[in-house]
Amino acid sequence: MGGLLQNIKLPGDDIPWLEGLREKGRCVFAGKGLPTAKTEAWKYTRPRDLQADDFVLETTAGHECHCGSNCDCEKTCGEGSVMPFEAYELHFENGKLQHEHLHLPQGVTVMPLMDAILQNEDIRGRLGKSFDLQDYPFAALNTAYLEEGVFINIQENISPDKPLAIINHTHARHDNLLFNLRNVIVLEKNSRATIVEAYIYSGAEKSRYFANVVNEIYIGRGAEVRHYKLQNDAYKAVHISLNAVKVKAGGNYEAFCLQRGADLARNETHVVLAEEKARAKVDAAYHIAGWATVDTTTDIEHLAPETTSEQLVKGVAGGNARGVFQGKIHIAPHAVKTEGNQLHKALLLTDEAEIDCKPELEIFADDVKCSHGAASGELDEEQLFYMRARGIGEDEARRILIDAYLEDVINRIEEPAVRDWIAEQARQK
Amino acid sequence: MKTPILEIEDLCARVADKEIIKGFSLTINEGEVHAIMGPNGAGKSTLSYVLCGKPGYEVTSGKILFKGKNLLRMTPEERAREGMFLIMQYPVDIPGVPVTTFLKHAVNAVRKHQNLPELDTMEFIKLVREEGKKLGISNDMLKRPVNVGFSGGEKKRLETLQMAILKPRFAILDEADSGLDIDAMKVVADGVNAERNEHNALLVITHYQRLLNYIVPDFVHVFADGHIVKSGGKELATELEETGYAQFVKEK
Repeated sequence: MGGLLQNIKLPGDDIPWLEGLREKGRCVFAGKGLPTAKTEAWKYTRPRDLQADDFVLETTAGHECHCGSNCDCEKTCGEGSVMPFEAYELHFENGKLQHEHLHLPQGVTVMPLMDAILQNEDIRGRLGKSFDLQDYPFAALNTAYLEEGVFINIQENISPDKPLAIINHTHARHDNLLFNLRNVIVLEKNSRATIVEAYIYSGAEKSRYFANVVNEIYIGRGAEVRHYKLQNDAYKAVHISLNAVKVKAGGNYEAFCLQRGADLARNETHVVLAEEKARAKVDAAYHIAGWATVDTTTDIEHLAPETTSEQLVKGVAGGNARGVFQGKIHIAPHAVKTEGNQLHKALLLTDEAEIDCKPELEIFADDVKCSHGAASGELDEEQLFYMRARGIGEDEARRILIDAYLEDVINRIEEPAVRDWIAEQARQK
Repeated sequence: MKTPILEIEDLCARVADKEIIKGFSLTINEGEVHAIMGPNGAGKSTLSYVLCGKPGYEVTSGKILFKGKNLLRMTPEERAREGMFLIMQYPVDIPGVPVTTFLKHAVNAVRKHQNLPELDTMEFIKLVREEGKKLGISNDMLKRPVNVGFSGGEKKRLETLQMAILKPRFAILDEADSGLDIDAMKVVADGVNAERNEHNALLVITHYQRLLNYIVPDFVHVFADGHIVKSGGKELATELEETGYAQFVKEK
């Protein structure tokens, strides 16, 4: 098993439960290998030639700025802020957390994952407990290398005044860097928080790296998380993310993910609505071109009565790009009076672009409301002509229509500052 | 000697391999209002789309000069920037694009072409609100997406607003009265009349004489089977209202 699994020494290998977890990750990944065309969950998004690529794991701990001596990266990996809105910013550089002091409000804990493993008893009951390794080969790989990431805990009834932003900035000097990030986010009863995740790169546009991310999000009774993500990795990069979310009674998970970059990307969200009246809104958008394959996969499990979920996913695919949407809604027996709605719409800009869509409903309860829909089409010739007949150039008219296409889904983002930022990022490059 | 704005000579055009315009000739000078009347299916709308360069409308022979330039070599946007404007029969909805955004792109594209400075947001909003007010268009309507959920009357008002802002040299009203009640038609007609001057010209395409009571033409042409079969003054419109188009259709 060359390539992705390497034999390296990780910190904390003297902690039996941690090493056990890593070993399990190694076994599952080594046993199952990479998904192939025959793997149902990956049949549209084949992680082609990852094996041969020989990604290299970077293990140098601590802060090492790769920008060189005349580093002006204060804005990107220092203490400066990069988000266009007020936020508590956590900076990762090439997958390494840059230690910096955050003035966090009372009741909000943010610490490096390894520190949490050493200091916080609670983490043992959370880490790796939100999903089954057998179902997620890349999360198994991530588990094999458990080390980097953050632990965030919001105490009961606490709502931080600003979003917490996890920013991964890649400016890899050398190619084929693999990094595994694991964030564990816990919201205690009746707390609320906005988590923003941003994956950005600079410099080496052609650099090929592999960001393998797992977020485990635990939402307590009556608590709420707004989780907004931008994936704008370099165009030859690989980005695989799993968001494993558990929501307790009356809790609410609201997510939006915009994917713009990478050569191969999947943002997968598995939400378990475990108790009564738990809610989820899992929206997404993608705007892709070139040869990219960009996948949005959701799996919403309604395990309790009166749980609700909604999903609106919209995409624009140009060039030879491929957009994939797989959306599953599962309603368990006894989960009565639940509601699950899902809609995927895509705009194809060229004959070569492709959309693959697989909606799935599994309903084992009566008295439920469920819907799913999918549509894909091209730019409307009548709209284009109307705009041109008013003097607007063809390219500009197309650009306006493409931007407008994603607007309704972006407008569902509840926080104005984040919405504006996402809208800006979604616009034509 | 009047200056011609539009000179159409022996035009033939087809849509999806079907010949619709067959040997159409017409010259329109500055300051003139022409009306083209004819039975449904005569090709009136086809003519307006050919003039605006809609894709799929293919000119097979003949020539068109617009302000002395070869119109047929221009893209739809170039024609619009040169001052061609079509008030459409069925304006299309554009979800996600607010009226103001759309208008600002249009007005600045036209101004840029005319070597005028682009309007900044403040100047533009002021202009749109002023012109909108004259046509009974609320600020709220300006914020809505183009034509989405608009009534027939609101759509035509928005078309008229665009004309008022873009100030075309030559405007075509394609069945501008379809789907409108008398009050809405008057608003549109007043709006169009307000834009008339000695340097621009107007072509009104209509099935009924009714609109011509409000926009009074200098010349009326009967259009049947792809070309003009009779021309006259404004009294021809009244005459047609009584006799109908049957006599011209028979001439085939």
